[in-house]
Amino acid sequence: MRPPRFAHARPARIAALAAALALTVAACTSAGTVTSLTTSGAAAMTSAESDWDAVLAQANGQTVNWYMYGGDDTLNAFVAGYVADQLGKVGVTLNQVKITDTVDAVNKVLGEVQAGRTTDGSVDAIWVNGENFATGVQANLWSCGWDKTLPNSQFVDFTDPAVANDFGIPVKGCEAVWQQADSALVYDSAKLDTADVASMSTLFDWARANPGQFTYPAPPDFTGSMAVRTILYDTIGGPTTLSGPFDETNYTNATAKLWPRLKDIAGSLWRGGQTYPQSQSAVEKLYSDGEINAFFTYGPGAVGDQVDKGLYPASTRQAVLAGGNIGNRSFVAIPANAAHQAAATVLANVLQDPQTQLELLTVKGVYPGIDVTKTSPDVQAQFAAVPVHPSVLPLTALTENAQPELAAEYLTRIEQDWTTNVLQQQ
Amino acid sequence: MTQPELRTRPPPTGPAATTRGRRRPANHRRRGVPRGLWIALLLAPALLVVGVFFLTGITQAVAQSLGYQPFLPGWRLSLDAYQGMFTDPAVRASLLLTARIAIIPTVLSAVLGVSAALLIRRLGRSRNWVSGIFQANLAVPHLVGALCMLLLLSQGGLLSRVSHAAGFTDTPAAFPALTGDEFGWAIIAAYVWKETPFLTVIALAALGRGVDDLENAARSLGARPWQRLVHVTLPVITPAVAGGAVLVFAFTAGSYEVPYLLGRPFPATLPVVALQHYNATDLTARPEAMAVAVVITVLSGLMVAAYLFIAGRLARRSL
Repeated sequence: MRPPRFAHARPARIAALAAALALTVAACTSAGTVTSLTTSGAAAMTSAESDWDAVLAQANGQTVNWYMYGGDDTLNAFVAGYVADQLGKVGVTLNQVKITDTVDAVNKVLGEVQAGRTTDGSVDAIWVNGENFATGVQANLWSCGWDKTLPNSQFVDFTDPAVANDFGIPVKGCEAVWQQADSALVYDSAKLDTADVASMSTLFDWARANPGQFTYPAPPDFTGSMAVRTILYDTIGGPTTLSGPFDETNYTNATAKLWPRLKDIAGSLWRGGQTYPQSQSAVEKLYSDGEINAFFTYGPGAVGDQVDKGLYPASTRQAVLAGGNIGNRSFVAIPANAAHQAAATVLANVLQDPQTQLELLTVKGVYPGIDVTKTSPDVQAQFAAVPVHPSVLPLTALTENAQPELAAEYLTRIEQDWTTNVLQQQ
Repeated sequence: MTQPELRTRPPPTGPAATTRGRRRPANHRRRGVPRGLWIALLLAPALLVVGVFFLTGITQAVAQSLGYQPFLPGWRLSLDAYQGMFTDPAVRASLLLTARIAIIPTVLSAVLGVSAALLIRRLGRSRNWVSGIFQANLAVPHLVGALCMLLLLSQGGLLSRVSHAAGFTDTPAAFPALTGDEFGWAIIAAYVWKETPFLTVIALAALGRGVDDLENAARSLGARPWQRLVHVTLPVITPAVAGGAVLVFAFTAGSYEVPYLLGRPFPATLPVVALQHYNATDLTARPEAMAVAVVITVLSGLMVAAYLFIAGRLARRSL
């Protein structure tokens, strides 16, 4: 089933692992569940149904420990309410573990695996994508081959490169898509007009004329890293020269003009570019305090909520700059050592349910990870009828010029070199 | 990392505590069990916790700092992480900042704490009430204190708003940058706010009834107030306060949440640098994170050793 993860494991550990594997295989074959499902996505419908019934039966009574970024009150309420209710209907209890950074959950799994806890791990599911997914792939942490076993995966477009790859890394069934995120520039229309947000150059011109009112979080912050890549795309005219796996020459050529440009604008940023906020939430606080008047976000749909709460000015608007905006998908991954694999699989299925995706769009403005055109006409009409907040761009505007993410290795290099070339130069 | 054992502060030990212990009657000992064994038995649960969690943690950190990463293909043991650390600009820039963030709050809170304790001792009926306020502060987590400082001192914070309302500043940026600044004012403020009451409580405990007797004796021998303070009161409380100050130093040098929230991403204090490396998505950065953590641990250990040395000399002199 799975290859042993430790080339250097002690004999006792290997024996324990072998015993655990034997037990798992025995359990799987006797119940006719996971093993047969993982072999092929083209299983006959009836057998797939009975397999899923077996997963449901196994999940019934389990508690799924879902580690997810917990810094968003609206999303937390949605998870604790709607998602927990849906899981409760099939006898699964949801334990949402809120973390400040997804890397914390990956580190927890890594620590457990390092300590020899290769089964019965405490993390059942993680909301993850990009570099953290890559970290798990690097250390072989994920359970794989289960994404197409979810009944709701019929609504997922697996041919979409953004679904098949996570920041350049093939997903290979090691995670199931949940959300779509498209970045946007958020700005106060009382301070910037539409000409200022037409392109990166006009935005920088505005920043020079109004020093201290624009910034981005210091990479490796997720959004800060995206902001730097958006500036990179604008500098080199799109990501095409950097598509595919990491290439040193392409990277050096692409970033040659990026660092001087970033250093040049630094003096006009918040605090004169002497320092950068530590996190996106710090940037958002600066905006709500009126210290800055524009910032990049990876969650444009949530901005309307902030305006309604009175945290952001009513004149808040969004824009996609001329070079386009970076978009990605986020996923749910299940660690290979998770104690409640079945319940975690059920969670992933609930999250892909069109009704869950619709609800998430309605309450939070989060765009669907599934392909809405694969749902029934009735559901499609419901998606189309969700009102768009005046401060938020409609999904069509956010997706028509969406740019793909780079390979995770590029991200790591850009973040490291930003630290050396921009942050540490001040 | 290796911080938690520093955060749970043991009650003040040192000469002040042992003096009280010595006065206890000898029948405190259990019959038949040798005193040394009895003490060892009593300490066993605490030592076990320290041993299991602290030592395994340190061992793991040292092993990983040497490149022990069995989950990565092609790992090997080496001193690369330590060599890399000395050329890493993030580490080099953090040394001065870390020293400043540790020393200034320690000195300030020791001075303020002792002064506050001496004043509180002079209070009459309101004494319990006032010292209660100081003790209440001990229950507030550092994280909460740091967030309060952020709401109070940042350029969009309460002070800035008051200053704007009073007409002193036009924009948030016109208010001086106290958070995320180069010097670390808000970090220092947060630590002084949090550690001063801690050292006040320690100094108050050391200012027991015995000190009154000693001071009265000095007064009857003709010592002036200043002489009584310098030659009687301060020497009596110094060992306990110095012990507390070492804990404060080790804590402020080794904790990350306050400098992370109130400081800059660069230069950052050593613990924040360790965390940045630890949270790097590339697992090959892990050994350097652990190397920094090991260095912090060694520095803290050296501080405690220095304290024990100084405390030993102070105790001998006071006898």
